[in-house]
Amino acid sequence: MSEEQSSIERAIERALAQGRYSRRGFLRRAGQGALVAGSALSLPAILAACGIKPGTGSSAGASNTIVPLPSSPAGQVDWANWPAYIDIDDNGKYPTIEKFTKETGIKVTYTEAINDNEEFFGKIQPDLANGNPTGYDIITMTDWMIERLIRLDYLQPLDKSKVPNFDANVQPLFNDPWYDKGNKYSMAWQSGITGIGYNPKLTGRKITSFDDLLDPKFKGKVGMFSEMRDTMSLCLLSLGVKPEDATLADVEKAKTKLLGPAKAGQFRNFYGNEYYDELSNGNLALTIAWSGDISQMKLYDNHDVEFVIPDSGGVLFIDNMCIPKAAEHPLDAHLLMNFWYDPANAAVLEEYVGYFSPVKGVAEQVTKDADAAVAGGDQETADALKVVAATSYPTAESLKNVYNYKILKGDEEKKWNEAFNEVVTG
Amino acid sequence: MLRRYRGLVPYLFLVPGGLWLLAFFVVPMLVMASVSLQQGSLSTGYELTWNFGIYPEAIVHWAPQFVRSIVYSLIVTVLTLAIGYPMAYTIAFLGGRLKNVLLLLVILPFFTSFLIRTLSWKLILADNGIVLGTLKEAGLLAESFRLIATPIAVISGLTYNFLPFMVLPLYVALEKVDPRLVEAATDLYASRLQAFLRVTLPLSMPGVFAGSLLTFIPAVGDFINAAILGSRDTTMIGNVIQRLFLNTNDYPQAAALGFVLMAAILAMVIVYARVVGGEELTQG
Repeated sequence: MSEEQSSIERAIERALAQGRYSRRGFLRRAGQGALVAGSALSLPAILAACGIKPGTGSSAGASNTIVPLPSSPAGQVDWANWPAYIDIDDNGKYPTIEKFTKETGIKVTYTEAINDNEEFFGKIQPDLANGNPTGYDIITMTDWMIERLIRLDYLQPLDKSKVPNFDANVQPLFNDPWYDKGNKYSMAWQSGITGIGYNPKLTGRKITSFDDLLDPKFKGKVGMFSEMRDTMSLCLLSLGVKPEDATLADVEKAKTKLLGPAKAGQFRNFYGNEYYDELSNGNLALTIAWSGDISQMKLYDNHDVEFVIPDSGGVLFIDNMCIPKAAEHPLDAHLLMNFWYDPANAAVLEEYVGYFSPVKGVAEQVTKDADAAVAGGDQETADALKVVAATSYPTAESLKNVYNYKILKGDEEKKWNEAFNEVVTG
Repeated sequence: MLRRYRGLVPYLFLVPGGLWLLAFFVVPMLVMASVSLQQGSLSTGYELTWNFGIYPEAIVHWAPQFVRSIVYSLIVTVLTLAIGYPMAYTIAFLGGRLKNVLLLLVILPFFTSFLIRTLSWKLILADNGIVLGTLKEAGLLAESFRLIATPIAVISGLTYNFLPFMVLPLYVALEKVDPRLVEAATDLYASRLQAFLRVTLPLSMPGVFAGSLLTFIPAVGDFINAAILGSRDTTMIGNVIQRLFLNTNDYPQAAALGFVLMAAILAMVIVYARVVGGEELTQG
């Protein structure tokens, strides 16, 4: 399959997705799974494989020297983010980014270049290893990948004096996180919980545990994630093992636990983002799911669906903005990151994206907007915004039962992947 | 002076194509060959260790997916031939003034993207979608019946997507068949069936040969149909390579699988050419 073909396809798909979701003024993160397929075997991926150098800092440890920032902005910032992970209007424009450009005069080149952490890492890794600019000033990566990027010394430390909004407004959960102590390199973008989404009308009962996914009663109506870390972490938790403590023997057990049902046809498929439609249209009765998706589905696509953190535990994931080494416009990147930690801007984002916001005051702002909508006579929008406000930060109770991904290095990661590949390929 | 170099002219014409092949085929192939023999991981770096052991390892490990890809593609080739031959025949001999319109219709699906076409099948054949939902409501199908996430869906998707690749070469071959030869055969007391079997069909074999190669080869390596319309149990070798490349970052094994696939296809094509006789094609 040619590169050209896939990029066209992705553009079309994106256009469709945008048209579809922006009509209701609400976006979800879409286009991960099937679209990754479209980008497979692109030239960068092939070249990435050619003569790959190790991370420069793998032995020396990450350096903490703050690269001096230029004294004035360059007027340009390049940002790679996930599809449908920002507010967008009916014309395909990004209102809040335009607001930033108006305020600062800095032009933002916003690309939805990331469909998968590993895939994107593979694309930028050769540049990072050689100390070349990747072409991006900000990239949005998930927590465990941030840990890897820091470990390999691929990220530029943040100059905290340029991001004052962070210390002023960051929610406690996203301050000083496990993958980046002291937020030296990263600032959370959005966050959510990996758990189970289900349709009670189809399951006929309340779903409470991971083992419900393996109940033969639901054979062929169960979805799993093709994302190794999510599926394996939930399965390990169901075996009573915290992902962080999991040994290879535990992974083997988790594999065995999944392999039997997989061979028996228990799972309809292993999904990326496309699980959303499958659950929403009733092809799936229950599936591994991301919390933010299910709250959106409940609001807009299927009122029946519910999200539950399995009693054995869920996984908290945090996507973060960070600046790759040798970025060409680092000061502009700081300014943009700071901009998003203004509650007024973060609230607009929250109303569109609907995951957990890392910024204080967002729930209040969204509630205000809901009240304004009531006053304006738009009850439907008001109801939606109220739900968004209520789910813009995890409850203390839900946080009691969520865990982090394990930091996987080298051979251990390979072993996990091998075990999981056996489960997902029949 | 000029005359002396005239013999070089044909070779000069080959330069652009040759350079293109060198840059986009030979060089990537060499890179991939080197990658397949490296060991390591993205974070520690890869080193060329001439690890030939990866080849038997990869073949053994992924044999079921190899076999499945080949079986699916053979079925797809037969199906496209069965559907495509009558189509091409009709257009070539009975198309009349509509020929161009009919040909346009054959390639019309190409005006939309491969991915979108495949995704739309997912919608059309959804468990409770426009087709199955209606049949289920009419009581003609069991509630649990489904097409998506089954081998039938994957094979149908492949057949649908590759049909034009079969029809077009068949059409070209059939177009060239001189109707007067068929006429002559019937004059010599051949029945219409005999005339077809002994004149038209043999003369259209180059089209059958080209069409089946154009269908079979891309179908074996396809991963989009299996990814969108299939399930775990329809995993094809393309899906494995894609997963190893992009999700697992196991470049060496993915590269090795690519070469194994290429070698397997090449071997099958050679056998096929011997049996069906690619001679007409090369002489054509």
